[in-house]
Amino acid sequence: MSSTRISDGKDPDARRQLQLERLQSTLNRAVKNVPFHRNRLREGEELGAESFEAFSRIPFMERKDLGQHYPYGLFAVPLRDIVRIHTAPGTAIHPTVSGYTKQDLSIWREALANALTAAGVTPHDILQICLDSGLANWGRDYKDAAEAIEAGVIPNTPLSIEKQVMVLRDYKTSVLITTPAIAAQLIDHIFDIDLNPTSLNIKTLILVGEAPDTEARSRMAARLHVSTWLHYGLSEIPGPAIAFECGQHEGLHVNIDHFLPEIVDPATGESLPDGEPGELVITTLTARAFPLIRFRTGDRARLIPGECRCGSDHLRMEWFGTRTDDLFSIDGVKVSHDQIGSYISGVMGESPDFTHAVRQGEGNRPYLEVRVAVDDALFSDEIKMLEAVVQNTERMLRENLGVPVQVRLRERSGEKQAG
Amino acid sequence: MLRVRNLKCFYGRIMAIKGISLSVREGELVTLIGANGAGKSTLMNAISGMLPGWSGEILFREKPLSGLEPPAIVRGGISLVPEGRHIFGPMSVLDNLKMGAYTVYRKQRREAVSGDMEMVMELFPILRERSGQPAGTLSGGEQQMLAIGRALMSRPKLLLLDEPSMGLAPLLVEKILNTLTTLKNQGLTILLVEQNAQAALGIADRGYVLETGRMVLQGPAADLLEDEEVKRAYLGKDYDEFYEDF
Repeated sequence: MSSTRISDGKDPDARRQLQLERLQSTLNRAVKNVPFHRNRLREGEELGAESFEAFSRIPFMERKDLGQHYPYGLFAVPLRDIVRIHTAPGTAIHPTVSGYTKQDLSIWREALANALTAAGVTPHDILQICLDSGLANWGRDYKDAAEAIEAGVIPNTPLSIEKQVMVLRDYKTSVLITTPAIAAQLIDHIFDIDLNPTSLNIKTLILVGEAPDTEARSRMAARLHVSTWLHYGLSEIPGPAIAFECGQHEGLHVNIDHFLPEIVDPATGESLPDGEPGELVITTLTARAFPLIRFRTGDRARLIPGECRCGSDHLRMEWFGTRTDDLFSIDGVKVSHDQIGSYISGVMGESPDFTHAVRQGEGNRPYLEVRVAVDDALFSDEIKMLEAVVQNTERMLRENLGVPVQVRLRERSGEKQAG
Repeated sequence: MLRVRNLKCFYGRIMAIKGISLSVREGELVTLIGANGAGKSTLMNAISGMLPGWSGEILFREKPLSGLEPPAIVRGGISLVPEGRHIFGPMSVLDNLKMGAYTVYRKQRREAVSGDMEMVMELFPILRERSGQPAGTLSGGEQQMLAIGRALMSRPKLLLLDEPSMGLAPLLVEKILNTLTTLKNQGLTILLVEQNAQAALGIADRGYVLETGRMVLQGPAADLLEDEEVKRAYLGKDYDEFYEDF
């Protein structure tokens, strides 16, 4: 499928033409096949792809739209053409379900393989993927891409931190793909058990899910004797490495043959000129099964004007790691307050007051803490009953959000103070 | 070489092409497939200057074609093999070919014309045999060869073909398409409009799929041949046949 890619060094005009052609057929297919898009993009306005300026008048697609059309409401191809179905934690009661056609997977595999190659990964490398269940989809995507470039890959497996370190050491891992929080925890554990990083083969650390600050990043690089690379992706669709660092480490290259990035003012939705920070909005150009059209990512970023010293003319962006909406991120997994509320009421049968916080657990690994106010309806004089409520709620949240969770019950007055 | 952006074509108040973009790079054979009424011929007519009512942008070798008359476009290097051939029936095969060179004759380059004539006869030996015959007495396949030969006489850089396989037996279709491959290998850039998607995608580098005046798909021809949507809609595999395969 090398032909689906435009090689670097093409003249910018040809690239714009390709983007325009792909954008127009993406819009046409979406309007033709997906009622949601059809009703949203009125006839006439759907022709908004005439120019990129006109395109910016098309309404946004938001995270809530993904949940509202659970499960297959946004698919743009018959289910028969779908060859893979991914589920990611949504931001409301329903998870986000995304589908991929055979072509989608092959384009995506190639795009990810490019991102890995840009980080210096070769067929001689051994890759270890270490992600929470909330980002399990990314684990699969990275595995496919690593196999495509014929690197050895240890797929994402839920293991304890001790076991992960054992694999890292004994299996001679040379490339580790993980989130900054898990990386920090792994490094701490390596030092705790007296393991000198010089005895490890690891040379590359690819960080995904969250953007660590420069200091944390260089600290990790120094402690583990590795070079670090940052990848930006969406946990829902289409996956990881929508943008990735090249050897210059001066921003992340957006794969503009397949994605059209925009930066908008999060308050007004107006497009911002290149270089201005704002909210990243993404449109897919080649996705067949699940097109995103002006999807608000909620991530703060800015596009970097000018060409990269690496010679690639792929646009670069700076990813700030902060958000423009009320979602919060636990190790790369996006969670909303309302969503936690609906799971709690699902288990408890009512809607008690609660607060939540992201706390640092063992080894600085973040987890979600939820404090629920106990009122008369919830209260029981049997400790066993209360414990069961806590356990069920924890299990429910953990299963649906894919992140570590701790639930605490608080007296109503205590809750007020905590909040 | 050819770049079309946001082209809209009108027949009176009816919009037949609703804002399409496509491009053909130098040396490429690109095919445009679509059902009847999708707007394929309209696009060809717009590019060759025979349809005045269009908006948008058509660039040929970086120059806009807007407002140019067909002869100017032919002189610029674009030649059309129209749908249904439109050969001059009562005239001889030879005269038909000479008509194709009308822009070259104006430049008083008779020698060049006879050289080109030789090239066309080499390409389609049957035309040499029939050179004195009225073109209307030729078979369908021969007429199609004549139409292509006539288009080549203006020495185009870009050859547009509108349904060259229409009404021809499979063997002749294959022959015509083989000729296109030969021409492409000689360096000619080709935009081929076809309903016979299987055959067209078989020889093309890239393809576009046009549906009711809108582009819905594009990509390398090999990918389109494998595309489930294309298979269902254009390669004659309908839902029933799919189920039978199971």
